Amino acid sequence: MQILIYNENEMERLGEKIARVLDDNDLVYLKGELGAGKTTLVRGIARAKGYQGRVTSPTFALMNVYLMENMQINHFDFYRLNPNDIYDLGVEDYLERQGLSLIEWPQAGAGILPPEALLVDISLIDDDYERERRVSIKAQGSQYQRKIEELQRLC
Amino acid sequence: MKDILILGIETSCDETAASVVKNGRHILSNVINSQVQIHAQFGGVVPEVASRQHIENIALVVDQAFADAGLEYQDIDAVAVTNEPGLVGALLVGLSFAKGLAWSLQRPLLAVNHLHGHIYANMLEHEDIKFPAVCLVVSGGHTSLLLMQDINHYQVLGATRDDAAGEAFDKVARFLGLGYPGGPAIQKAAQEGQAGKMKLPRVFLDRQDYEFSFSGLKTATMNMKKKLEKAGELQVCDLAAEFQQALIEVLVEKSLQAASRYGVESILMAGGVAANQELRSLMEQRTESRKIKVFCPSLSLCTDNAAMIAGMGYQQFIRNCYASLRLNAYPSLSSL
Repeated sequence: MQILIYNENEMERLGEKIARVLDDNDLVYLKGELGAGKTTLVRGIARAKGYQGRVTSPTFALMNVYLMENMQINHFDFYRLNPNDIYDLGVEDYLERQGLSLIEWPQAGAGILPPEALLVDISLIDDDYERERRVSIKAQGSQYQRKIEELQRLC
Repeated sequence: MKDILILGIETSCDETAASVVKNGRHILSNVINSQVQIHAQFGGVVPEVASRQHIENIALVVDQAFADAGLEYQDIDAVAVTNEPGLVGALLVGLSFAKGLAWSLQRPLLAVNHLHGHIYANMLEHEDIKFPAVCLVVSGGHTSLLLMQDINHYQVLGATRDDAAGEAFDKVARFLGLGYPGGPAIQKAAQEGQAGKMKLPRVFLDRQDYEFSFSGLKTATMNMKKKLEKAGELQVCDLAAEFQQALIEVLVEKSLQAASRYGVESILMAGGVAANQELRSLMEQRTESRKIKVFCPSLSLCTDNAAMIAGMGYQQFIRNCYASLRLNAYPSLSSL
């Protein structure tokens, strides 16, 4: 499915809607160039799941964990990495454990990260940051296909 | 009173560092083995490479710290080590080494927060800091404004909502093709250019709080680059200068607002971005006419080092705040 998003506020609202179809151990990949709005979308998801604290870019630390009473969100950012680095991080450990995992720049983990996921791709229109964003959401795996259908009813 | 000698170890990012500091003030040695050259080819710190390099360096760097100080291992009173925040794989190298050393020497282990270390760097060089003070912490991973009652007690007044200042420097530098690390690269390009030829936003400057946001500035800079490029009018140095100016104006004005609101006479700066010359001089300039004194560590103590860790460790040592040998490393912040 594709949606046009006109500002930061709308991007957070979209995150909130996506959050409604996501469960505890789900996996979301977020693609899109620098400044596209990936972290903003994650903020929307985290807020809808009840997280009140800061949701910031994990580029430096590579990972932020948002702990709530009944769940946790693992927010990864592989912007600085290449595939060889992913092993070293112990990402698999986090993916096997409890928690909703949201991964920015998943390209670095191609071949290592599980293929089944919700794939969100945010692109600029006409290479212009001041214009709207085109957000395309795809399912990889049947489990996520159902979530897309659910999401389509919400949007 | 007997002198207290603390060994500090720091491996949270791309520097393997060790230092011996006497009584929390006097640096007897300060060894830093930087990996910046290695990481520059990748455009940033690569964790796998960082951890491996730390393992190769750590014993040599610690040995050198003792040799430079003219001391034996047995001479130290405690081992202080950075255990958060940073890259976990990297932190664990220093942490494991420090634990082994503390255990074998039968000395206490002290756990130091990397950012608290950066703030403490000011105490290593300045004796006339008046508390309470406002402290601006700006680095690759963090941007926050603190109100400090003393060196051990502070509250967070505000922090970044999205990107850290140093992260914005790195990403914009990469986008403009200026290289890594982004801070020095932008500063250098900016010196050849002129701010104000185009206008980038001073984000959150009109807000009456101490929150920061640099993601929007990053995006605006990239957009400006694309537009100028299309028009055939791109002068990278001018754009770098305007970006730097937009970013530091916000840092300086927010610090000043906090200083005047809380009536403090000292503003401290800490973290790698505090090494930025334009930031330092604008802060000096803007405080000149007021009764506020600005403190920043010298350039070598702004960037990651272990003297600041040993220094902050001293504060814990004299309060008997020892860490357990089960101490773990943590990637994100627990207290700042």
